Amino acid sequence: MSNQANRGLEALINDQAVRLMMPGPDVEAEGWQEFLGDLKQLAEAQGRADVSRLASEYLAEGEASLPDMQQQLARLQKACEGRPAPPAALSQDPELVRDFIMESREHLQNIERSMLAIENDPSDVESIHGTFRAFHTIKGLAGFLEFAVIQEVAHEVETLLDMARNHQIELTGSTVDVILASADHLNQQLNPLEKTLLGEPAPDAPEPHDLLSQIRGILRGDKAAAEAAPPAEAEPMSVAPETVANSAADPAITPPDASELAFPMAEEALVSSSAAPTAPVAELAENLPAPVTAPVAAKPMAPTEIRAVEAKPEAKAPAVSKASAANTAPAASSGSMSSVKVDTGKLDYLVDMVGELVIAQSLVRHNPDLVALKNPSLMRTISQLGRITDEVQKTAMSMRMVPLETLFQKMIRLVRDLSRKAGKQIEMDIAGEDIELDRNIVEALADPLMHMVRNSIDHGIETSAQRSATDKPPVAKVKLHAAHQAGYIMITVGDDGRGMDRKKILAKARDRGLVENGDNLSDNDVFNLIFEPGFSTAEQVTDISGRGVGMDVVKRQIQKLRGRIEIVSVLGKGTEFTLKVPLTLAIIDGLIVGVGEERYIVPIFAIKEMLRPTAKMISTVEGRAEIALIRGRVLPVVRLYRRFGVEPKSQDPEQSLIIIAEARGRDFCLVVDDLIGKQEVVIKSLGDGIRPVPGIAGGAILGDGRVGLILDMNGVFSADQSTYDGANRAA
Amino acid sequence: MEAMTAAASTKIPVPPANDGRAGKYLAFQLGKEEYAIRVLKVREIIGVQEITTVPQTPDYIRGVFNLRGKVIPVVDLQRKFGFATTENNARTCIVVVEVASAGRIMLMGILVDAVSEVRNIAAGDIEDTPDFGRDVSVPYLLGVAKTKGQVNLLLDIDSALQTHEVEVLSSMAVS
Repeated sequence: MSNQANRGLEALINDQAVRLMMPGPDVEAEGWQEFLGDLKQLAEAQGRADVSRLASEYLAEGEASLPDMQQQLARLQKACEGRPAPPAALSQDPELVRDFIMESREHLQNIERSMLAIENDPSDVESIHGTFRAFHTIKGLAGFLEFAVIQEVAHEVETLLDMARNHQIELTGSTVDVILASADHLNQQLNPLEKTLLGEPAPDAPEPHDLLSQIRGILRGDKAAAEAAPPAEAEPMSVAPETVANSAADPAITPPDASELAFPMAEEALVSSSAAPTAPVAELAENLPAPVTAPVAAKPMAPTEIRAVEAKPEAKAPAVSKASAANTAPAASSGSMSSVKVDTGKLDYLVDMVGELVIAQSLVRHNPDLVALKNPSLMRTISQLGRITDEVQKTAMSMRMVPLETLFQKMIRLVRDLSRKAGKQIEMDIAGEDIELDRNIVEALADPLMHMVRNSIDHGIETSAQRSATDKPPVAKVKLHAAHQAGYIMITVGDDGRGMDRKKILAKARDRGLVENGDNLSDNDVFNLIFEPGFSTAEQVTDISGRGVGMDVVKRQIQKLRGRIEIVSVLGKGTEFTLKVPLTLAIIDGLIVGVGEERYIVPIFAIKEMLRPTAKMISTVEGRAEIALIRGRVLPVVRLYRRFGVEPKSQDPEQSLIIIAEARGRDFCLVVDDLIGKQEVVIKSLGDGIRPVPGIAGGAILGDGRVGLILDMNGVFSADQSTYDGANRAA
Repeated sequence: MEAMTAAASTKIPVPPANDGRAGKYLAFQLGKEEYAIRVLKVREIIGVQEITTVPQTPDYIRGVFNLRGKVIPVVDLQRKFGFATTENNARTCIVVVEVASAGRIMLMGILVDAVSEVRNIAAGDIEDTPDFGRDVSVPYLLGVAKTKGQVNLLLDIDSALQTHEVEVLSSMAVS
């Protein structure tokens, strides 16, 4: 229970809560400021540094809106009863730690981008400086908050980069690997901090020892450059398994990250040793034009390295295009664009309020008294207001959007790592990374895209030997394009690999009992079989993919985003997946339909057709279920008023409207009274206070300010099947 | 730090024994009874809005309404507690409360017949809920307060508006 010394503070907060509760002219900014001042004084007098700091923070923020005040009050209240003692160390201050995590994540992203740019162009001094500064900032912040491990790792990498800056070492394959691994490591160090912040049990942070010794190896290496790497070449069997064992012995790391972190290095050791005879050739070609012929250049490089191809004249053009694609990204972001971080809660609130503004604006505009005035100047002003409101709404909506750039960046990194791991030469073809999408969609796309890119590299793209045998360029291509199309975003993931083999897929599908014979299936139908659960054509399960969990999950995730996925594949030429996703999850186009007194919103993407039925169209089955015969097709009928227990205007089908909609891949007819209009609506949840209702996806504010319910077609259709059971049980 | 708090507490007069229930309450009427909820739970009080009914929900959930762009469910506590409902009148209003459920804070509206006033209820005025015997369980009450000769039922709004599991269980028990 609360500390006794808190009583005074609590009483003060209570009083203010009462004032806030009754909205009226007395809740003015001054009253609020005065309250904060009093509270601050009292808290100081009681030695409650945390409460007084919070109060002075809010005081400094100046005028606050009502919800802001309520939120601040709630926090003050919590501070008052929750934590009698102020935090012991800075690292305990959640605000500081949150800022630290956010800022560090941003820096780490920039680091990754810069490193990939450096790898393409080691003379890119600006990127080296940028990376140095980023590590330096992380180090400083970590030191301030006393996160010793982060500080140490950042410090070592900083030293490494400093040497690179001064041309003491060259940033090549394995050094870049180490720096990227350090960035990954720091990211992992942040995870437990974040978990603690959220109040979840935090996993132990990974141990940095291996990494640190690697970095230090390179640091020492400018005298004896080969020292760190050659042992790997000489005794690959002893070194490589050890690295793997180390990562396996550390169960604290989340498994996928661990393998990603440790694997490139172990793999490189193996590859470079097994391919040792060929390596020097590539290296020689590579190193001749290099400006610095330091001893480091003697370090063995994996022959699989993407850069190696640059030395070959015929591969030059694509390699350059790749470099420019990678380079444009940092250029765009390091420009003069300045930005402000905003709490997403505030953004959502802004969007809500703008929605209300639009409604209020339209109520004024259509007010009959105003219209009756027939005052042209007033009407002009009102339409001016309407245009401004539209603009404000558009801007508010666009604030939730983020460019695809960071997501694509992840894919570039993934391709780089995987291509080295798999020993395949791959260049990436990226377009449309500046296209903006809703933040939630971009996040939800990460896993499916990663999966498809992995599949392309693992199954799609052949080894260099296979490629040259089929007259293909040795450097394979992975394509990642995004483009706008009619209110949707099309994302294409493609490769110029071996393509999908109809026969193999069919054989596998028959094996799994997915199809009977399947010879008469179209190519498209055959390819779509890979979306069936448990289907994987990889002959061998590899580290990268082929475990049979996969494309079905990808498809489900895309569908969850109200998107679609399509495959085009030509045997021997390559495969292309096209994802079609909406720009935002927050807004849908809806048809507003009426049933009796109620209005419901039907998402337009679910509607195939609408028609007014004739009496002959609908017939009953066993006296209960109904079917409709529409142009030779027999479709089940769902009457929305029965489903929701609403009194309709008329039970006569001829007086109502049929919507043909799709649910779980089947078409059905939904009977409603009439069509009221079409509106773009912002989807809102009905809140935790109401149990999810089958058939209702959420709510939306309609044009007149009332709440309309958005229908979920799957729920409407399948819940209808179960109502019979429900009715039977009740009876 | 502990020394500081200890020093501070000697300066402040020690309030009488406090069981955590004393404080400011908003009193309101439901039918003929007078209830009170903690003021800090109350976000705002507004007149009756247009409510959209949601199908397939328990009858005490009146529906949802638009609170400045947010969709908020409205609960009719009279129906939930099983009294006869009174018709809406000029004094009927919606009290928007903050409810903690499964670690999250959510907003809900409760329909009340009239809001009376904000009362300061001292610890000495609060009594534990009397035991009505086995058949009457009153899990939603924090206690009973007597102020100005009136009885206020102190409502634990968090548990009164507790959602899913409880509902499912109770509906199963009834059938």
